[in-house]
Amino acid sequence: MISPFPKSASAAGEGHIVVKLLPHDVSALESITYQYPLKLISPTVKATQQSVVVFLLSYGGGLVGGDQVNLKIDIQPFARLSVVTQGHTKIFKPAIPGTITRQKLSVNIQDGAALCLLPDPVQPFEGSLYEQAQIFHLNGSASLCLLDWVTHGRAARGENWDLLKWTGRNEIWFRNQTTGLKDRLLVRDTVLLDGTSESPHPMSLQETMHGHAIFGTLILRGPLTRSLGEFFLAEFSALPRIGARDFRTAAEKEEGAERSPLESWRMGRIQQEIQDGLLWSAANVRSCVVIKFGAATVEAGRNWIGSMLAQEASLQRNFGEDALLCVR
Amino acid sequence: MSSQVRVEVNDGDAAELEAEIADLEARLQFAKERLSRPSPAPAPTAASKHNTLSKSPTPPTSSHHFLLLLSDSALPLGSFAFSSGLESYLAHQRSSARRTGQQSRPSFTADFLPLSLSSYASTTLPFVLAAHRDPTAVADLDDQLDAAVICTVGRRASIAQGRALLGIWERSFVSLSSSASVAGTAAATGAAEEVLKPFSALLRSTGSSSSSLSTLISTSSSSPAITEPQLPPPTAYVFLLSHAKALVSAAVRASLFGPYQAQRVLASPETQALITAFVAREWDTPPEDTGQSVPVMDLWIGRHEMLYSRIFNS
Repeated sequence: MISPFPKSASAAGEGHIVVKLLPHDVSALESITYQYPLKLISPTVKATQQSVVVFLLSYGGGLVGGDQVNLKIDIQPFARLSVVTQGHTKIFKPAIPGTITRQKLSVNIQDGAALCLLPDPVQPFEGSLYEQAQIFHLNGSASLCLLDWVTHGRAARGENWDLLKWTGRNEIWFRNQTTGLKDRLLVRDTVLLDGTSESPHPMSLQETMHGHAIFGTLILRGPLTRSLGEFFLAEFSALPRIGARDFRTAAEKEEGAERSPLESWRMGRIQQEIQDGLLWSAANVRSCVVIKFGAATVEAGRNWIGSMLAQEASLQRNFGEDALLCVR
Repeated sequence: MSSQVRVEVNDGDAAELEAEIADLEARLQFAKERLSRPSPAPAPTAASKHNTLSKSPTPPTSSHHFLLLLSDSALPLGSFAFSSGLESYLAHQRSSARRTGQQSRPSFTADFLPLSLSSYASTTLPFVLAAHRDPTAVADLDDQLDAAVICTVGRRASIAQGRALLGIWERSFVSLSSSASVAGTAAATGAAEEVLKPFSALLRSTGSSSSSLSTLISTSSSSPAITEPQLPPPTAYVFLLSHAKALVSAAVRASLFGPYQAQRVLASPETQALITAFVAREWDTPPEDTGQSVPVMDLWIGRHEMLYSRIFNS
């Protein structure tokens, strides 16, 4: 029987995905290789799909101490790739103290090509040591949608930011091949969480997180994510002012009760944000839109980002429904 | 008068080179000392304490003089207009207390001050140290820092204060550097001048280039006299202390407490220990490894724009 899985690469934890564009604007895999503990699965290509979907998995559903994952992705001109996961990426406590678990992702997106990376959040367990670096090189009018989020651990076991160390770095570089100039750093977003006893901070890591169970960053760049970025910026400026009071009478409120579907959706979402202790902000940084959010529960964070992406709907159109599997 | 001194400097190219060599040797010596000494701020031993006490009082160096100027609250940077997220923090604590029904009073000393110092140190202090160690890299460091400030409000605040500082340097310090060179720091002042002049020209010409406070404060603190190899620890300390002072003064303006309590917070051993510990934490952090150690700080600062009433710009 022919194995349904792609063939393996040689080094442990190494993986490489190459996506190309077939005639009739269909994106397809040119090659896909991987090695334990990394596992990559891509469903069969359908002629109607907007992007290639690859599932990024690890054996046993998590990474143990000392695991090193090193994934390279090349997306050729005008091809589109969506990367998703199947459940949280669990980071276990290392068996030998001090062993760091690492994941590195290097992505090169050619002119006109696009990547939609919407994985499940990373879940660092108690005592885990983890470093993650995701480096993206965007050529010309390449597009990127990147979600990076981290949770407080296994809530069912009472964990609440009990990890030892967490480092998550995202870098977006602009590469200009025609001029041959040096790559330009557009955004560097790094989160450093230190729960070790050497941390000079007088408060525990849990206290510094101020009741948030999840923190996330969404980074958008390029023509395929432009409308989504504008949507986030518009919604951010439409948020009610903190500390403002409503001086309208009940009758006046009735008068203004006729709302467009977008307005009623926004009203409901804002109510939910207040209920879930969800805080978010959006900013335009050097041609990228960066959205940061935190919520009191993991589900609240997932529902919020899912509802924002579904309402705007350009990701479904550009990458297909499967690209949003992890945020539904 | 200053033009006369300038001529002198130009004539004394050899002297300038010699001074530069002396400076480089001093920096090499300092780097070697740092390599052989694992902890950045070793506690003085009893013997060395005794030694310093028995010595006759030495006048503070010129670099101390400029560090004191840079840490002065009268330095016209407009710092009083910025609260670095304090105002937003207070508003969010109030609304979160309303939501959960808990009477959790926002605490400045036990909560916001350590959070803000940690966040400021982890995101910007390595840039200050790097710019201090190599002033010629200031434009590149500033570009990197600009890419890492992911927050409209924070970016605006940093750029406004950075430009104000560059203005002070241009209008007040640079004219002094030629006379300072008489005192034997020609190489250092020359270097800083050579770095900052094109940088400010670049800023003028493009109008889009950023100039963040932190990279500039270190360059200008190194500009008057870089010759003291012991300089970096005080610069890093002054940088974080100035942040603490700005926060405390914002707290007074926001009516959290009065001016006496403010001084008590600044003078407390806890605040001193915090600053020392954060300087030590970031001492060897390369600028590319900086990051946010308090993620919620990004949310508070980013959401400052959403406050209904504001007395600060950040």
